[in-house]
Amino acid sequence: MIGKSVIRKEAWDKVTGRAKYTHDYFEVGMLHAKLVTSPYAHARIREIHTEKAGSVPGVRAIVTGEGLPLTGEDLRDRPPIAFDKVRYHGEVVAVVVADTLVQAEKAANLIHVAYEPLPSVGSPREALQEGAPLIHENLANYQKGKYSYPEPGTNIAHRTKIRKGNMEKGWAESDVVIEASFAFAPSDHAALEIRCATAEIRQDGTIVIIASSQAPFMIKRLIGEYFGEDVGKVIVHTPLVGGAYGGKAPVQLELLAYLASKAVGGRKVSVWNTREQDMITSPVHIGMEATVKIGCTADGYIKAAEILFLFDGGAYSDKAIDVTRAAAVDCTGPYHIENVWCDSLCVYTNHPYASPFRSFGHCEQAFAIERTIDLLAEKLNIDKLELRMKNAIRPGHTTPTQVVLNRSNVGNLPACIARLRELIQWDEWQRIEINSRTVRAKGVSCGWKTSTIDTDASSGAILTFNPDGSVNLISGVVEIGTGTKTVLAQILSEKLKMDIDDIHVKMDIDTQTTPEHWKTVSSRGTFMAGRAVLSAADDAIRQLKAIAACVLRASAEDLEVGYGKVFLRDDPSIYVPIKDIVYGYKYPNGNAIGGQLIGRGHYILRHLTPLDKETGAGKPGPEWTVCAHAVEIEFDKRDYTYQIIKAASVIDIGKVLNRRAALGQVMGAMSMGLSFASRETFLFDRYERILNAQLRTYRPIRFGEHPEYMVEFIETPQIDAPYGARGVGEHGLIGMPAALANALSVAAEVPLNELPLFPELIWRTKEGKQYGSI
Amino acid sequence: MVPFDFTYHRPSSIEEAVRLFERLHKQGKTPLYYGGGTEIITLSRLNLAFADAVIDIKHIPECCVLRIEQNELTLGAALSLTSIEEANPFPLLTKTASEVADRTARNQITLGGNVCGQIFYRETVLPLLLADCHVVIAGKDGLKQRSIHEVFQQRMRLEHGEFLVQVKIDLSYVSLPHAHTKRRKQGKVGYPLVTVAAIKKDERLHVAFSGVCPFPFRSKTVEEQLNARHLPIETRISRALQYLPKPILNDTEGSVEYRLFVLMNALSDILIPLEEG
Repeated sequence: MIGKSVIRKEAWDKVTGRAKYTHDYFEVGMLHAKLVTSPYAHARIREIHTEKAGSVPGVRAIVTGEGLPLTGEDLRDRPPIAFDKVRYHGEVVAVVVADTLVQAEKAANLIHVAYEPLPSVGSPREALQEGAPLIHENLANYQKGKYSYPEPGTNIAHRTKIRKGNMEKGWAESDVVIEASFAFAPSDHAALEIRCATAEIRQDGTIVIIASSQAPFMIKRLIGEYFGEDVGKVIVHTPLVGGAYGGKAPVQLELLAYLASKAVGGRKVSVWNTREQDMITSPVHIGMEATVKIGCTADGYIKAAEILFLFDGGAYSDKAIDVTRAAAVDCTGPYHIENVWCDSLCVYTNHPYASPFRSFGHCEQAFAIERTIDLLAEKLNIDKLELRMKNAIRPGHTTPTQVVLNRSNVGNLPACIARLRELIQWDEWQRIEINSRTVRAKGVSCGWKTSTIDTDASSGAILTFNPDGSVNLISGVVEIGTGTKTVLAQILSEKLKMDIDDIHVKMDIDTQTTPEHWKTVSSRGTFMAGRAVLSAADDAIRQLKAIAACVLRASAEDLEVGYGKVFLRDDPSIYVPIKDIVYGYKYPNGNAIGGQLIGRGHYILRHLTPLDKETGAGKPGPEWTVCAHAVEIEFDKRDYTYQIIKAASVIDIGKVLNRRAALGQVMGAMSMGLSFASRETFLFDRYERILNAQLRTYRPIRFGEHPEYMVEFIETPQIDAPYGARGVGEHGLIGMPAALANALSVAAEVPLNELPLFPELIWRTKEGKQYGSI
Repeated sequence: MVPFDFTYHRPSSIEEAVRLFERLHKQGKTPLYYGGGTEIITLSRLNLAFADAVIDIKHIPECCVLRIEQNELTLGAALSLTSIEEANPFPLLTKTASEVADRTARNQITLGGNVCGQIFYRETVLPLLLADCHVVIAGKDGLKQRSIHEVFQQRMRLEHGEFLVQVKIDLSYVSLPHAHTKRRKQGKVGYPLVTVAAIKKDERLHVAFSGVCPFPFRSKTVEEQLNARHLPIETRISRALQYLPKPILNDTEGSVEYRLFVLMNALSDILIPLEEG
């Protein structure tokens, strides 16, 4: 069962259009909300006139920001509805609730807000300049988590410091030093399903939320914390989620739905984004500016790295603090560097606020690091894969946060690089001129990632049985399209030696009855929930054996479970069918023993620690998945246009649990990475208003525009993971932007250090012209 | 969603449509003729389009005609772009149409809607301008036929209450040597940075543009420069660029300078083979 390409359990529902998502749960009598959003990026709110809107028939309530508590996961800096001022274009200033969506929209159009525009901040570097407008004047007074370090009087929401080794020594040992700067603006996740939620407050105070979310258990907890509700009275349902990519990890619309329902006496209210709002009102893919300085010996051993990440956290810090911390944790890329200095800042700007984006800070930082590695190789005149191989992180090395690596907690990067080298025929050519205009070039990159998650994050699983002996598998992992729940079924099927069709998976989440899985983020579903399922299976097996031991009059130690039976290990012809014992065993005379069988299991991460404030030392995550990537492009030297011909990823996945599912995850991630790198960005005017918040002007990669994908796996087991499998949901993305930029820089013979790589950018860089429009 | 209420009307004759429009207007309404409706959906949600009555012209037989008769090709305004592509009566129009939006949208978008639209690319008008076609317009005084050059200046100059019924193309244009190129910011779907279409008639190049300015155009002076055959083509192109109408677009698709760079290459790519061919 392990490694088999089992078709995902929800596949038929999805391909026939029967699968239900949050917005499909309509109910008669449900009210509808429309969000009124700010046309300005930074402005004082003088007045909000709601009288006209309030007189529209069907309008039940208009909720504004006054008197609401501040929210935010690591730093409470965000009013759920803007109050006093708006800090980004698209920020919610009012929520209109009406009987129908049409009425709500009509009324929303009649709300008049008087704004007084303020000077806006358009990038992290701008935000850090002396005299830059302060986006949060009250930063000093915000309630904050123990490990968030805002710097009042500035636009810095958080700073993560990494101090490892001795920089002076590192620079002294370096013969060659290279320094370069990088930049890209925020962009979108562009999930097919826009973000949406409903809320209802019942007579007894029970709050029922349905949400398209990666973090239903966090919604429950945060509504409790922010609004002083009893956490046990908050019930969150999450059905299938139509793509999330990190954009559904933050909690935003759920709070609005709750507030809206409260304003109408608890009636059920549906809140959903239009596509335009989903792009800018809800959290976005983070932007970044960076400067990287690397020193190495003449023979190519890296001795020092000084790294400055300036993340564009946007108007509010929320999940961005975590993202910028994750980038710092793995700041060097998968290389052994003894002397490291890194400051990773979460900076406030007047852009939409940031959330995780698949790879959680890693494709962003890898773009800066892997471009610098290429520049270093060029300066040293060393083969680019050879330089990466020489410095590849290995067991025995330490990470930037000083975790000692061993054969289990890090994958085999040299094996990934070696396989990539063969796969893309690197040694045959790296740049060839096809004719006077056309050139083909290859670019490579490496990546790694651990999961910087809460040190006490846990996952639970419950198994119940049906009268025919089949099993129901209940886990808190949200099915966000990754097929994780099918992989969990495979893990269980292997463990119970049971047909996969006899394992029924509960797809939707109900926080009242589903055991908690921390959050469905960070490529941690299979690892944590997989361990919980194995633990639940062990529990069920122990109980099955205990009853069967009585029935078969044998010692439990002599029994095995499998193939729908509990049988004697040395004589399988003596057995009892599982179906005869999972609801208790009934003897022929009617006496019964045992009872309904429920397997339970859980997993909690082990030995994780927060990072030291001054040095960053600490254990942020359980393991590092490593990967190597390549992109081959064909570039037109006259037009500056290009085609992506091939894209390759070699990932040490530990163990392949479901081959096609893994390939799908990796290719999907690669596609996102290439789309982000080649064409996805928000475009801002000089007042920091977004100009392209529609899919006709913001255009992700289309079917038919894809390169040939080449994906291979290395299998170095993570000893404590289910069957040795490592996280793989994000890693295909990590090196794609860098590999594409590296290939194009080689082809165009000019360093390309910005994203996305529009032909106009290459033209401007190559021609050395400073045109301002994009 | 469309943020206003509107009434839907489905006339089955031209006269009925025109009468409807008049009546609705007299009632104080803002009626709008429409074909595919994609633009109403796209722009109304941004509050950039409004109509409280829409008149669907897809059920008027004349608007759905695709016919070749007496050396003339007639295309109804309500034909979808994909139906024109599939029938392929005018290969240059097929090429231009097939690069508008994406297949799903083109199943909806009609020829008339694209030519008369508010979104200013209106790329399918380029072959019509090049073919010196005629347009049939319905209004309260009945039908009239006009040269496209009279009616289309930057956009269709229709009188209040008028709508485009058909375009009529002289068949001799349909098989002329032609070329078309659409250059985008990135990728294979999306608005143009520049679209250029050209035909060669009696050794003269006819050239029309979209995406260069906030309107499509065919310019006499630009064509004169491009046809000054005593000069090398590069010289002609760079001279032609100086006679472009203003303003040149400077927007999220690309800067002025980059657009002109792309346009220069696009022109030499399509005109050289066309001239030599």
